[in-house]
Amino acid sequence: MNIFSKKNDRQRTFLFITIPILGLFICFNTIPLIRGVIYSFTNFRGFGSYDWVGFRNYIDLFSDARVGKSYLFTIKLALVTTIVVNIISLILALGLNSKIRAKGFFRGAYFLPNILGSLVVGYIFNYFFTYILPALADMVGLESMSTSILSSPSKAWIGIMIVCAWQAIAMNTIIYISGLQTVPEDVYEAGGLDGATGWKQFKHLTFPLIIPFFSINMVLSVKNFLMVFDQIMALTKGGPAQSTESISYLIYNNGMSGGQFGFQSANAVVFFIVIVAISVAQMKFSGSKEEQL
Amino acid sequence: MKNTTSAVKANKTVMVLLILGLSTIIFPLYMTVIIAFKQPSEMTNSISGLLSLPKTWSLDNFREAMEVTDFWNSLRNSLLISVSTVVLSIIIHSLMGYTLGRNKKSKFYNFVYLFIVSGMFVPFAILMMPLAKQTAELGLANWVGVILLYVVFYMPMNVMLYSGYLVNIPLALEEAARVDGASTWRTYWKIIFPIMKPMHATVAVITALAVWNDVMTPLVIMAGSSQNTLPLAQLNFQSQFGTNYNLAFASYLLSLIPILVFYLICQKQILNGVVNGAVK
Amino acid sequence: MKRKGLKCLKLTLCCAAAAFAVQGCGASSDDGKIEIEIVQYKPEAANYFKVVEEEFNATHDNIHLTISSPNDAMTILKTRFIREDYPDIIGIGGDINYSYFVDAEILSDVSGYEGMQYINQGYLDIAESLELVPTDGTYIIPYVANAAGVLYNRDMFEEHGWQIPTTWDELLSLCDEIQAEGILPFYFGFKDTWTCLAPWNAMAVELSPSDTTKQVNKGQTNFTTEYRELAEKYLQLLQYGPEGPFAYSYNDACTAFARGESAMYTIGSYATPQILSVNPDLNIDSFVMPASDSADGRTLNSGIDLGFCVMADCENKEAAYEVLNFLYADENLQKYIDDQNAVPCKTGEFQLSSMLDGMLPFIESGNMTDYQDHYYPSEMSVDALLQTYLIEQNTDNFLTNFDANWQRYNRDIIRMVQDYEAANGGS
Repeated sequence: MNIFSKKNDRQRTFLFITIPILGLFICFNTIPLIRGVIYSFTNFRGFGSYDWVGFRNYIDLFSDARVGKSYLFTIKLALVTTIVVNIISLILALGLNSKIRAKGFFRGAYFLPNILGSLVVGYIFNYFFTYILPALADMVGLESMSTSILSSPSKAWIGIMIVCAWQAIAMNTIIYISGLQTVPEDVYEAGGLDGATGWKQFKHLTFPLIIPFFSINMVLSVKNFLMVFDQIMALTKGGPAQSTESISYLIYNNGMSGGQFGFQSANAVVFFIVIVAISVAQMKFSGSKEEQL
Repeated sequence: MKNTTSAVKANKTVMVLLILGLSTIIFPLYMTVIIAFKQPSEMTNSISGLLSLPKTWSLDNFREAMEVTDFWNSLRNSLLISVSTVVLSIIIHSLMGYTLGRNKKSKFYNFVYLFIVSGMFVPFAILMMPLAKQTAELGLANWVGVILLYVVFYMPMNVMLYSGYLVNIPLALEEAARVDGASTWRTYWKIIFPIMKPMHATVAVITALAVWNDVMTPLVIMAGSSQNTLPLAQLNFQSQFGTNYNLAFASYLLSLIPILVFYLICQKQILNGVVNGAVK
Repeated sequence: MKRKGLKCLKLTLCCAAAAFAVQGCGASSDDGKIEIEIVQYKPEAANYFKVVEEEFNATHDNIHLTISSPNDAMTILKTRFIREDYPDIIGIGGDINYSYFVDAEILSDVSGYEGMQYINQGYLDIAESLELVPTDGTYIIPYVANAAGVLYNRDMFEEHGWQIPTTWDELLSLCDEIQAEGILPFYFGFKDTWTCLAPWNAMAVELSPSDTTKQVNKGQTNFTTEYRELAEKYLQLLQYGPEGPFAYSYNDACTAFARGESAMYTIGSYATPQILSVNPDLNIDSFVMPASDSADGRTLNSGIDLGFCVMADCENKEAAYEVLNFLYADENLQKYIDDQNAVPCKTGEFQLSSMLDGMLPFIESGNMTDYQDHYYPSEMSVDALLQTYLIEQNTDNFLTNFDANWQRYNRDIIRMVQDYEAANGGS
C-alpha cells in the first residue's frame, strides 16, 4: 500500500512538471512552427496579401540549383568543422583539466573567442585573411596562398571553417570539462595501478565515462554548424560567387530581407526535417554505443 | 617516484601547448583593444599601420560609445533579460531534464524528450514572422516576451544537457531519501538539484552567452518599443555605407566585461562541482 | 489534463503580460496631443532626425512627433507590418521594397498633399515607374536622391593634369595614362557583393533603356540582348582595378581611396562620409560615368534615396501632412543635404556639396536616370550574380543565367504584369 502511493506520488510529480513546461514549449515553438509550415504553401512575401500555391514551393525547391548548392556547402562545412572542433576541444579539455598552473587564467582566456561579437570577429579575421595571411605566405614563398582565401570560391569555405572552429571550441571544451568533472579521481588511481597511462588511460577509462558528453557535443556541433549563419554574415555574405551561401543564410536573406518568405519557409521545413533525421540517427548511434560500454 | 617525474614532464608539455594555443586568442584580442583606442583617421590597410599602437591612449572612444548606445539603460535591459532567462532556465530546464532523464523507459516521456529536443533544429527564420505576430497578439511584444521565448529556445539544448548529466547521478541517492519518506518533489530540491551544480553552471554560461549576444530575437519582438539591449544598441555602429569600427570595438569591449566576469564565477562552480561519492 | 494545462498557461501568460507590458502608444497621448510616429531607414541620418524631432515638438503644441532611425529598419518594418502595428509615416528608398509595399496596398495615396507641387518632376516619374503595374495614385514623396558615378581624387587629377572623360574611349585612355604613371586607376571592394552593382548601375543608365526590366516583364525583350554590351564593358573596367578585387571589402576600398592608393572609385555619393572619416582632408569630386561613344548620351545615375510614405492606416492625415511640411521646409532639407551630401528632390535654391560639382550640370538640367537595380528583386541576388560573372568572366553564361533567374524570381510579378496588359489592351 505504502509503496503504491509512493510510486503514484512520483508519477504525479513528473506529470505535474511536464505538462506546464510542455505547454509553454508548444505555445512558443510548435504553434509558430505550424504557422510557418502553413506559409510554405503560399507565395507570401512577409506582408500584404498572398495566394495559395499548393506544393509549388516544394517542387521548386528540388529544382533550384542555388538551394542544392547551399545544401552541399553546408553539409561539407558542418562535417569538417564538427570533426576539427571536437578533436581540438577534447584535447583542450584534457589539458585544462590536468594539474597545471594558472588553470583559471587559461580557462578564462580560452573562453574569450566565444564572447567576441560577430562584428569584431568578422573584422579581425577578414583583415587576417586579406592582408596578414597572404603576407605570411609571400614570406614563405607559398604561391597558392598569396591572395585572400576568402576571395577564392574554392577555398573560402576553409576560412569560414577556421572561424567557426575558433569560436565554437570554447563551448565544446566547457561541456567536455564538465563531463570530465564527473569522472571520479579513484578511477584514475585504480587505472594507475593497472599501468594505464596516457592514451590507454584515455581510451579505456576516461572516454567511456564521458560518452554522454561526447554525444551531446557531436549533436550540438552538427546542429550548430548546419545552421551556420553569423560567421557567413561576418565573413563572406555568401560570396565569392555564391560559394558560401549556407542554408540558414538563404532562408534568412531571401525569406526575411527578400520577398521569398513562402518559398524559404518551404526550404526551412525541409531543412528542419533533414537536421532532425541526421540528429536522430546520431543519437541512436551514440545511444547504442553507450549501452555497449 | 618515476611516476611523478613523468607526470611533471607531461604537465610541462601541456603548459607549452596551452601557451602556444593562446596566441590564437591573444592576437585578435590585441587587435580589438588597439582598434578600440584608435581614431578613424588612424585606420589603414597596411599591416604595420594596423598593428601599431594607437597614437594616444584616450578613453574618448569608450565615452562616445557609451553615449551612442545609451550604455547604462541598455546594460540594464540586457542584464534584466539575461539574468531572468538564466534563473528561469536553471529552474525549469533542470526540472524537465530530471523528469525526462529519469523516465527513459517510458514511451510517453521518451516521446516528449524527442519532441522537445527536436525543437532545437527549427530554423529561427521560419519562426520569426509567426512569433512576431503571436507575441503581439498575446501582448508580449516586450522584454517579458523575449525572456519567455529564450526559455523556450534554449529548452531543447539544456534539457539534453541535464538529462545527459543525470546518467552519472546514481538512482541510489534518491532511493535513500525516499526510504526516509521524502516526496519526489522534496528529494529533487534537497538532493538532486544541489548535485547538479556543475551542470547548472554550464547551462548558465551557455544560456547567458547566447542571450547576451543575441540580436534577432529582441530586434523582431521588441521592434517599435523604445527599449534597447546592448547588441541592439550596437547595431547603430554599422550600416552598409559606413561602419565606425573604432567606436564599435570600444563598445564591444565594454559589453564583454560583464559576461566575462560571469563566466569566471561560473567556471569555479564547474571546477568545484565534482560529484562527491558518486561512484558508478 | 493537457488542455487544462495549456489553458492555465495561457492565463498566466496573459496575466504576466498585463502586469508587465509597457503600454504601446495610441493615436493620441494623455495630454490630448496627436501622436505621429515616423520610422525611417537611414541610420546614418539619425542625428539629423533627432534634431528635427526636437525642433518640431518645441514649435508645435497640438502634435507630438517621434522619429526612430533603427538599424535594419526593413526587418523592423516588416515585423511590425505582420503584427499590423503600423507607424504613421515611413521613410524608405525608392527600390523594390517600395514597389512591394505599393502592391500590398499598405501605403496611402499622397497625391493630394500640397507640397507635392514643389517636388522635382523627374523624381516623381521615377517613383511612378517603380510601381509594378501602373496605379492612379502617388504613394511616396521623394525627399533626397543620391547620385552614383565616379569619385575622383581632385588634387591628384590637378597635379597630373588629367582631364575628365566624356566618352567610354576617353575613360579607357585616361585609365591607361594613370596606369602608366604607376598609379592604380580604380579601387574595387568586390568582396562586399553589393559594391559590384555600383559601376554596373552607373554604366547601365547609358547603355540600356531605363525600363529594361519592364520590357522584359512584358515579354518584349530579354537581358541577353539588352545587357551584353554592358557586361562586356564591365570586364574591361576590371583590369584597371587592384589585383584580386574580391579580397577587398567596401570598407577596404574606401580606406584605400582615402589614402590615395587609387585615383578614382566607382561608387555613389553615399560613400563620401566613410571616405572622409579616414582622411578628412581628401579633396573629392565626382563625374558621370561615360559608357558610350557619344558625350551627349551621358545621363546621371540617380535615384530616390529617401522618400516619405504615409501609411494607409494613419488615422490623422492632416497631422501627418503638417509633419511633412516641416520636414520639407527648405532650411531643414538644406541641413539634411549638408549632413549627408545628398541631392534634394525638391525644386528650389539649394547649396550642394562640392563633391557633387562634376554632376551639377546633370542635376540642374534634370538629366537623370534611376538605378537599374531598384527594379531587381533582392532575393535574386543580382549583386552575387555579378560577382560570379566578374570572377568567371564568362559573358554568355552570365547573361543566360540572368535571364533564367529573372524568369524564376519574378514569376508572380510577370504574371501580374501580363494580366494587367491583357486587361488594359497593352501599351
